Amino acid sequence: MATRWIKPIYKIAASVAMVTVLAGSVVGCGSSGSIKEVENAVSLDAVQVVAQKSYTSNPNAGAKSDINGHAFVAESSNYNLYMNEEDLSVVVEDKNTGAFMESSISYDDEQSNYLWLAAMKSAIVITYISGNDDTKQADLINDNVNKEITYTEYGFTAKLYWTKYQFGLTLEVSITDDGLLARIPDESIIENSETYYIGTISIYPFMGTSYLDDKEGYMLVPDGNGALIYLNDKEGAYSVGFSGTIYGTDTGFKESSVETLLWDKYKMLTSSERVIAPVFGIAHTDDKIAFLGIVEEGSMRATIEVHPNGAFVNYNRAFAKFVLRKNYTQPTSNNSTSGSLHITEAERSHSNLAVRFVFLSDDDANYTGMAVAYRNYLIKIGELTVAEDTSYNTRLDFLGTERETFLIGTRRVVMTSVDDIREIYSELEASGVQDILSVYKGWQSGGLYNLPISKYKADSGIGGTGELTDLIKDAAADGIDLYLYDDALRINPDTHNSTFNVAKQINKRRYVEKTYSKVYDEFLYLIPLRSDYALDKLVKSYTSKGVNNLALAGITSNIFSYTYNGEAFTRYEEGNDIINVVDEVAQSTNLVLEQPNAYLWHDAKAFLDMPLYTSSYIVEDESIPFLSLVLKGVMPVYSDYVNFEANKTEFFLKMVETGTYPSFYLTKESSELLINTNSSDIYSSQYSIYKDMIIEYAEQLSAVNEKTAGAFITAHEIMSNGVRVVTYDNGVKIYVNYSESEQSVDGVTIEAMSYEVR
Amino acid sequence: MKKKNSYLKRIALVLGIAGMVAPIFMLNNVETVSADAPYETYTVDGYGDVTKTQTAYLPDETITKIEEEALNAPTDFTILDDGYMYILDSGNKRVIKANTESEFLGSFGEDVLVNPKGIYVTEDHICYVADRDARAIFVFDEDGKLIQTYTRPEEAMYGETMDFLPLKIVVNSSGTMYVICESNTNGIVQISPVDGGTFLGYFGTNATSASLWNIIWRSVLSDAQRAKMISNIPSTPDNLAIDSKGVIYTVTRGEDDDSLKRLNIAGVNMIDPSITDDVAIAVAVGNHDNVFVASQNGYIYEYNNEGDLLFVYGGADDGQARIGLSTKVEAIQVGADDKIYVLDSDKNQIQVYAPTEFTDYLHNALYLFSKGRYEESKSPLTQVLEMNNLYDYANMAMGKALYKEEDYEGALKYARLSKDLDGYSDAFWEIRNDWLKKNLSTLIIVVVAVIIVIVVLVKVDKKKNIFAKPKSLLKKIGDVKIISELKYAFYFIKHPVNACYEIKYHDRVSIASSNIIVVIFMIFFVINKYFCGFLTKTVREGEYNVISDIGMILIVLFVVVACNYLMCSINDGEGKLKHIYCTFIYSAVPYLLILPIVFLLSHVVTNNEMFFIQFANLLAYTWVAVLEVISIKEINDYNFKETVKIILLTVFTILIVALLAFIIYVLWSQVIDFVKSLFGEAVYRIGN
Repeated sequence: MATRWIKPIYKIAASVAMVTVLAGSVVGCGSSGSIKEVENAVSLDAVQVVAQKSYTSNPNAGAKSDINGHAFVAESSNYNLYMNEEDLSVVVEDKNTGAFMESSISYDDEQSNYLWLAAMKSAIVITYISGNDDTKQADLINDNVNKEITYTEYGFTAKLYWTKYQFGLTLEVSITDDGLLARIPDESIIENSETYYIGTISIYPFMGTSYLDDKEGYMLVPDGNGALIYLNDKEGAYSVGFSGTIYGTDTGFKESSVETLLWDKYKMLTSSERVIAPVFGIAHTDDKIAFLGIVEEGSMRATIEVHPNGAFVNYNRAFAKFVLRKNYTQPTSNNSTSGSLHITEAERSHSNLAVRFVFLSDDDANYTGMAVAYRNYLIKIGELTVAEDTSYNTRLDFLGTERETFLIGTRRVVMTSVDDIREIYSELEASGVQDILSVYKGWQSGGLYNLPISKYKADSGIGGTGELTDLIKDAAADGIDLYLYDDALRINPDTHNSTFNVAKQINKRRYVEKTYSKVYDEFLYLIPLRSDYALDKLVKSYTSKGVNNLALAGITSNIFSYTYNGEAFTRYEEGNDIINVVDEVAQSTNLVLEQPNAYLWHDAKAFLDMPLYTSSYIVEDESIPFLSLVLKGVMPVYSDYVNFEANKTEFFLKMVETGTYPSFYLTKESSELLINTNSSDIYSSQYSIYKDMIIEYAEQLSAVNEKTAGAFITAHEIMSNGVRVVTYDNGVKIYVNYSESEQSVDGVTIEAMSYEVR
Repeated sequence: MKKKNSYLKRIALVLGIAGMVAPIFMLNNVETVSADAPYETYTVDGYGDVTKTQTAYLPDETITKIEEEALNAPTDFTILDDGYMYILDSGNKRVIKANTESEFLGSFGEDVLVNPKGIYVTEDHICYVADRDARAIFVFDEDGKLIQTYTRPEEAMYGETMDFLPLKIVVNSSGTMYVICESNTNGIVQISPVDGGTFLGYFGTNATSASLWNIIWRSVLSDAQRAKMISNIPSTPDNLAIDSKGVIYTVTRGEDDDSLKRLNIAGVNMIDPSITDDVAIAVAVGNHDNVFVASQNGYIYEYNNEGDLLFVYGGADDGQARIGLSTKVEAIQVGADDKIYVLDSDKNQIQVYAPTEFTDYLHNALYLFSKGRYEESKSPLTQVLEMNNLYDYANMAMGKALYKEEDYEGALKYARLSKDLDGYSDAFWEIRNDWLKKNLSTLIIVVVAVIIVIVVLVKVDKKKNIFAKPKSLLKKIGDVKIISELKYAFYFIKHPVNACYEIKYHDRVSIASSNIIVVIFMIFFVINKYFCGFLTKTVREGEYNVISDIGMILIVLFVVVACNYLMCSINDGEGKLKHIYCTFIYSAVPYLLILPIVFLLSHVVTNNEMFFIQFANLLAYTWVAVLEVISIKEINDYNFKETVKIILLTVFTILIVALLAFIIYVLWSQVIDFVKSLFGEAVYRIGN
């Protein structure tokens, strides 16, 4: 309760500060015109910053009045940068509005211990590993740190060395036209000690922090499609916030942990959604200032942390934490009860580490602004290109063949043959469904799980290779893209020799993915070299037949550390190998990717299996379609399968809201035939059941998407009455009512569980 | 359908109210527009195995506060059909009155309650609170005024030394209270409101379990020793619920199949749940003849009125803190709108789960089906099956519905899918009956015609010898050594004594012919095991373990013959290994002859005629057993007593061999594990 009456005083203090800032920005002057040209170069290649003119003391000190103990350092056309030499914390001030965000707390509630206090102020917070303990903190306040600060034209460079732990790094900070870039070059990270190693590094972990509900606004959580945590007073309800490994957990370190199993047998908890894009953000809607944090370098081995007040301290914060080294368990026996060692990784992972804080103000200081900023950023650096054709298609995936056990081997279960697909196409065409994209799964000889695929050879049960080639060509002539599905990551040890070339975990044990299924009970992961080999052969034999539509899965959504021939490879190496593999495949094929991580988006003609929900963590207050906002209009985005959604109406509205195209998983035969196969979880897929739904969905969604064709989303609002309003840059507005009663917004009346397009 | 409509009206009404007060409590509760469930939903298939299905219930909202009133270790609550909710906020020693939209409508009991554990509220808002440490049941009226207190019953029948520590309570329409008391193992305490509380007796006592082993053990122990054993007293139920007809449901932890009970007025259990939870902590009655059981670990089970498991979902929070997972469940309630409310005393919250479209269809079908309205239930069942083809409960219901409609082919298909043996048998009977009706005359004509033709041919052959050529050819083939050895099997099974003599002294059969019989046996065995009729099948459909079947046959053959030979050779037996092997196999020939008949029969019989198959099997086994005994006796030239002795010794030897094999396996696995560990260590050391 004490905090309650302290707050107003603090508020007054803050507003006094605000007045001084406003005054400062009026007095301050800058040659913004000349900076701008250099600025473009800066934002694309931050290394150039170091080459600029430099000073050992702040040349601009006193040019503008300090903000909360931070001295003016540099400016870009839009922002002023202030810095405190003691802890290197910064303040970024919007020149136009005078609003600012701080990387350290300026009000101490006197409830945090000295470690937290230091963490809340330091520009860099390190957790170091010493023996089995990997949780100790090193920062810029409690520890003895040698600092060499050099001032550059756009910011500063600080060479830091922790004398006790004997490790150090160089932090480069520069103010850019769009915000702030903080970077640690890989070669600057040094570790001289045999007892202390750097475990993780967080850069400006309290950028944009706020105390309890002092600021109105929210934090962006990159969970699933996207979520928000409001900056209200959580009253200590949450002891922990969101912590997600970017691009998913590392199977190389996965330990067979104790899972909560129903009756000790069945896996009850579903896995949470992956962090697909390396972003986070905080918006102070009352001050109309926000930032989007983009992990520009080093994202492949980092986590996004978003913690509301109440989680350890009473401050809200969102940041990226880079992992350099980890402890892991080395079992010395196959029997889990006997012997294991705790070991620290021998070599740290190598990559530059950089976080770009893109600042947003006025009407852009919200999550739509963040999404737009991220989209523009990706387009600018070439990670995204706006596709020529993002028009509506209904995605109809077909399952060709599966296998079930029979006598001493397995036998084929044909679900959808080439002829069946032809028939389905012509039937749908007759019903007015013409815009179709298809992915053909289980087309390969030996069925869906005969992996890896290294040859273009169709199963004879679906009609054979010739028939399949003809189908793809004929469909293309009708304007239907039919893609062949390839999981290039997994190898089936029952159908292929998997003694070599499979990924071993960091502890040199093979990584085994359990399926808990009847026919093939486990899969292994191929190392990138081997994925490349199989994929290369497949693509060559495939394209030689004059067809080149490929749907890639597995390697698109997984990166992992592994050991091979006694050598350890980090996620950076694995990930970059995969990027090269996919880049190469993309040159000779039309590639659609299954739930690709952000670093593969530039190769995708379409995004398959976009999650429309979040993992529903208890700290999340609202789910928002962040990724959809980024990608709508840039490339076609397809949903998860409609078949398995229990609430179809709501799912349909989600697709309308996000501009996502529907996906169906179809078989000609009844799915009950799959009961004894590995696909026994496909409990509903028969075409005849879904035909009417496909026609209806296509009719309605193509009408909606016709109006928004080629347009980007510019605004997304959540009304209190359960209506969500999406605005496109061509002026079209879509109103989606999720409530159980009729609602009206802007004079538009929307029926219960329905939508309107204006 | 009328029932449904009234719900819709009610929902509309509630939502109307909700619309007006929405802004107030929007802030209090975590309101997620939409989310994926953090848990799987499972159901049971026809084999009793668990399979995945659509999400049945999605986490809806989490009630942590009633407006500004935070909950503190709540232990129980009641939700009425009119949307009122009474939460027993035990940590604050009060009852909070709210509606399901978490609007605060007052609280009471602050100065009365000591350590309240259970609450029950009647439809006219009379509130009963079971208070453990006050050793009393307090009754409050609609305004929260204490109107009655019931304390320990005075009646001698209650038990003189028995304390009164009420934990949970329900009340039936006539005001009779059913109270679960701590450490009162006699059962549920039944108290009538007459005369300020009259003890009516104990109700629904759990049975004690006495295993055969326990009974034997106890009979040999002394009294002192018996006293030291864990006393065999029945467990007290953990929670209870009551439905609109006054039927009581109880849950008891660790009672296996009896952990969920549905007790009629006489206290007799009327439900036999297919699968139960070890730590079932709460029970609630649904609106569609269904029952919900919550496990302390956060699993929620839904059963139909027969105790078949429809769904199990939810789970324990593993630290991920995702909405819909629980830490310590205390109570469960079902709203009039079919939403499930689960009270978690550790998280101080009520988690609401909303049924999905799929579940709504299923409930509708379930309701109609249980009322015998099969025709109407078909439409929602079709919806359910379209959404999940492999939902066996719906398949079973669909099969039954089609059977009533006399669509037997359809009924057969669905019964087979859902592994409903009785349904399959009934449908098959009808189909066979139809077939017989249509084809019986033709069949008889064909059979008669065939008999006539054979008779004529035989007669003609006698006169004119027209089959001389084929006959001589057959004879030639029959004279080939191996064929004649095989043919000897027919003689063997009829005249085992003579045949054994022939085999022993004239080598009438060979190892080769025996091996051929073994191979034929294997083929027949496999065919019968995997391709027999559905009703007699002993393995799951789609499951094939042919290699292990053959391995098993070979191992059994080897072990039995070897052990028998060993025993015979040290007991003055005259049999050579070869002869023992051959006669052992030849003795099994009757099984080979009868198996095809059983196989064919299995495709045409229903449960009604299962007798034929059982009889045929019995015949085969007896015949084989008799032949085995005779052949052991004859080959070794034993008398009957010696034969019995040898058989017993053989059985004993087999057991010893099995034990040896087990020991060797265990030791070897240790050795292998050691070598692997050594290798693992070496790999690690070299790698670093």
